[in-house]
Amino acid sequence: MRHLSPCRLIRIAAVAVLLAGFFFVSTVSAEQAASPTTSPIMVPNPATDLWRAVRQREAPAAGVTQVQGVQSGVLIAKSGEDFRNYRKDDFIGIAGWVLAGAAGLILLFYFVRGEIPIPDGRSGKVIRRFPDFDRVLHWFTAILFIFLAVTGLTLLFGRYFMLPVIGAEAFSVIASASKEGHNLFGPLFIFSVLGMFFRWARRNLPHAYDFKWLAKGGGIIGNAHVSAGFFNAGEKIWFWSVMLLGVAIIASGLVLLFPVYGQGREIMQLALVIHGIVAILFIAGSFGHIYIGTLGTQGSIESMKTGFVDENWAKGHHDLWYEQAKAEQKANAAAGDQHSASSSRDDALSPATERT
Amino acid sequence: MANMKFYCDAERCIECNACVTACKNENEVPWGVNRRRVVTIKDGEPGERSLSVACMHCTDAPCAAVCPVDCFYTTDDGLVLHDKDICIGCGYCFYACPFGAPQFPESGAFASRGKMDKCTFCAGGPEETGSANEYRKYGANRLAEGKLPLCAEMCATKALLAGDADVVSDIYRKRVMYRGSSVLDWGVNYDKASIRKSQGMKGKASSRS
Repeated sequence: MRHLSPCRLIRIAAVAVLLAGFFFVSTVSAEQAASPTTSPIMVPNPATDLWRAVRQREAPAAGVTQVQGVQSGVLIAKSGEDFRNYRKDDFIGIAGWVLAGAAGLILLFYFVRGEIPIPDGRSGKVIRRFPDFDRVLHWFTAILFIFLAVTGLTLLFGRYFMLPVIGAEAFSVIASASKEGHNLFGPLFIFSVLGMFFRWARRNLPHAYDFKWLAKGGGIIGNAHVSAGFFNAGEKIWFWSVMLLGVAIIASGLVLLFPVYGQGREIMQLALVIHGIVAILFIAGSFGHIYIGTLGTQGSIESMKTGFVDENWAKGHHDLWYEQAKAEQKANAAAGDQHSASSSRDDALSPATERT
Repeated sequence: MANMKFYCDAERCIECNACVTACKNENEVPWGVNRRRVVTIKDGEPGERSLSVACMHCTDAPCAAVCPVDCFYTTDDGLVLHDKDICIGCGYCFYACPFGAPQFPESGAFASRGKMDKCTFCAGGPEETGSANEYRKYGANRLAEGKLPLCAEMCATKALLAGDADVVSDIYRKRVMYRGSSVLDWGVNYDKASIRKSQGMKGKASSRS
């Protein structure tokens, strides 16, 4: 063995330390290379920003394309998946339960409360309530509404209830007819809403006694007497609901009817969402309206069927209007001596204006 | 059974639009419908990429989910096709599709629209294979002849790949290997490991594979 002088030992030790140091550093840097989160990125790949943008975690990446079309430059529209999830998870199931629940509650109420009879029974005398134009307008609206509701509900629920029963080809014929019918007659609803607005808006303006009527629940529970004008507060609520829901459903319906004006998918999705929610609320509300007007209150359906109502019905449910109408009749009889006391067919005066 | 998919390699696409033209011609696509389109993102800037997109034949297709008449069906090959005889042309599939694949034809008066049309992976439709009806409604049925969609066949750079998902992903995997970039490394290896960079080459696609 050669002589191990201290100098030599120091030199060997220095080399050993240096080698150890190199190994140490290289292992550390290897670890750093294996975990990229800790090492600085010198040259970012511009494509990674691009793909992040395409994935639409922030704003969607704008693209250009040679193909001419609305939104052709959009690579992925994330809203499509939101729309699909909304429709399947949040809308179709819930809409069904809302409608079933509304119908069920009303039936339950009927079995508990029963029909509300005319206060003090029928008097046998009638008084004019609605002129012919109003009745035609109402029934036009009612038939149109039921048609639109049935066709619309076919498109919404038919796949789940009708298609398994009658098969795809037959259901396609029904669904296609529903869609075409719904599209064709839907715009007629504009005339309904406008007609009813111009005819009845003034009579549906709220007054102080309407709030008292509401506070007593309209007298539907128990036999409390409530005062009302030509339309009571419940009818006024329904009127303004029809107006608001009607405007919303018409606006969204027109957007859906003409998809070719460059709207893009997001607007169409929004229109479908609005149209659907409003339609379900409308139909549920109509259940209540139809109930009250037929089964729920004795003597109500006549007002729309014939235009006349029993005087005790008018006195009991709309006393303020009744008194005013009677007063006008007396004034007309005194002035012209041409009208009979109760059943005048041509006095458009008493139902058309309400001064209370 | 095969699981047929499209894959467009953004590093290779040169937006020549050969795929668009091929599809339109081969299938005699109705006026107003663009079954396939090439979208260029970040046009003119660093990181510009082009992608050819048509129907992606999704496994859980949103179009099939929202259709009110349930006219979509998935074939054994994993393709999402629809039956134009049952389609009522309502357009919900178009609103739900992230890629805008099923489209309204714009012929017809007063927005009458007609049946939705979409990419069929050149696999025709539910009509009898090879019949005139099938061609008129859905376009060519190349798959029945053992061929792949014409868009992928026509692609000038083989950017658009179409076929069984395993085969397509294998091809792309090899390309990534040669290019040297990996999504896991984000930007770290892009500069160092790429063959092109080490040889001082510039530009997008590798000349290999």
